Amino acid sequence: MIGLIMKDILVMRKLLKSYLLLIVIYIILAYLDFFDYSFIITFVQIILAVMPISAFAYDEQSKWDRYAMSLPLGRSKVVGARYLFVLALTLFTVAMGLAGTALLYLAHQVDPLEMFVTLMVSTAIGLLLPTILLPLSYKLGAERARPYLYAIVFIPVIAFVLLVKAEIIDFSALNRLNGLSPTAILGGSTLLPLAGLAGLAVSYLISCRVAAGKEY
Amino acid sequence: MTNCIEISGLCKSYGDFALKNINLTLPGGSILGLIGENGAGKTTTIKCILNLIRRDAGEISLLGHDNVREEQLAKADIGFVLDECFFSDNLRPRDVGKILAPAYKSWDADLFRSYLDKFGLPEKKLVKEFSRGMKMKLSLSAALAHHPKLLILDEATAGLDPVVRDEILDEFLGFISDGDHAILMSSHITSDLEKVADYIAYIHRGEVVLSGAKDAILDSYGRVGCTAAQLETIDRADLLRTRKGAFGCEALVTDRAAFARKYPMLLVERTTLEDIMLFVGKGEAK
Repeated sequence: MIGLIMKDILVMRKLLKSYLLLIVIYIILAYLDFFDYSFIITFVQIILAVMPISAFAYDEQSKWDRYAMSLPLGRSKVVGARYLFVLALTLFTVAMGLAGTALLYLAHQVDPLEMFVTLMVSTAIGLLLPTILLPLSYKLGAERARPYLYAIVFIPVIAFVLLVKAEIIDFSALNRLNGLSPTAILGGSTLLPLAGLAGLAVSYLISCRVAAGKEY
Repeated sequence: MTNCIEISGLCKSYGDFALKNINLTLPGGSILGLIGENGAGKTTTIKCILNLIRRDAGEISLLGHDNVREEQLAKADIGFVLDECFFSDNLRPRDVGKILAPAYKSWDADLFRSYLDKFGLPEKKLVKEFSRGMKMKLSLSAALAHHPKLLILDEATAGLDPVVRDEILDEFLGFISDGDHAILMSSHITSDLEKVADYIAYIHRGEVVLSGAKDAILDSYGRVGCTAAQLETIDRADLLRTRKGAFGCEALVTDRAAFARKYPMLLVERTTLEDIMLFVGKGEAK
């Protein structure tokens, strides 16, 4: 399994390096007050959404699945390696996000709690995307799953905007959050990525089922 | 001697095509050549062996292990080279070593490097810069570096020049020399199989139509060249297949010596695997 995770990293090393460089540049620009921190968070989400699909696209190009399924690993381990790659990517982006938070807190005394909550929410959303996209990619392949990525990202955003415009969503309810203690906010926000992880675990089981029924 | 592959009653149907009751045995220390036309069922058979597709019926045992129920054990000592190179263009040979090492308990990094050296493959060059021959050599290095006992090759020498093919065939002969190792090799290049194979199985429209020791087949089968009038005089029971052309007729016989004794006026020659394929693929039943 480690070899397959390494394969994803090695195949996409150029892409990963360029993303890493961009994150560093964005952190520096945020440090210099050119960018808002939330911009980095959005970028991190994009990476988490795009990378697993890119991994599938590279696999399709080289027909890697047929080779991987011929190895003495079993289908669940091949699928598991892809999920571990997503987890490794999540850990990496969270680490980068935390490093950015610490840097900006030390430099600008920005409220670390707000940044931490933003990071946790974005990580949870970042985990939600592969949770839905990975089983779809196993079922349909990268190219046919790609439109679903846009649907998952844009439909909720459009729906949200429409609901706000129709005044169905009441933002005043959010004011109640101000009454919560920082510890409660910290605890609550930490639970969000954990819920994302639980979703990813369910997604893994679905992908295993899809892969088990597939012919290569 | 242990059989490295035992296939019995293998069936797999796709609706418009079906593998029907395939039975094959590959003893240790030998090479089994799988021949057949495009779409005859060679790759489907190999996919069933590697558990890439579900079989409808039958049993497959690899090195004594069931290939589905004991998949990981069955595949641990198998090396495989399929009809194309599956390593991404962005990888380098040394990356391939890093990827495959954790997949095999017996991965030998030094052996992998020695194969790369032997085949003249630069460790740091990107796969996208490799020729087809180099890609196949890389696939073969990857297949051999964990000391497999069984090699499964699907059209591994297709598209390679005669020099590279000869080099790879020598490697195969070296591989089986210790008596325990075996190779299942599907190929269209029947001359390659005539050079190295011990056994031949000919799959035609999803069925094994000919199977046996290569030398016995080539020593026994014969090709008769004659006129249409002469063909009419031959007892149909003595012929396997016939082909009629503008300039004469040809027939395939299973027992060359017996045929020559019975029909001394007709010339019967040694045949090749390619001839046999052409007779079965394009000829008429007797």
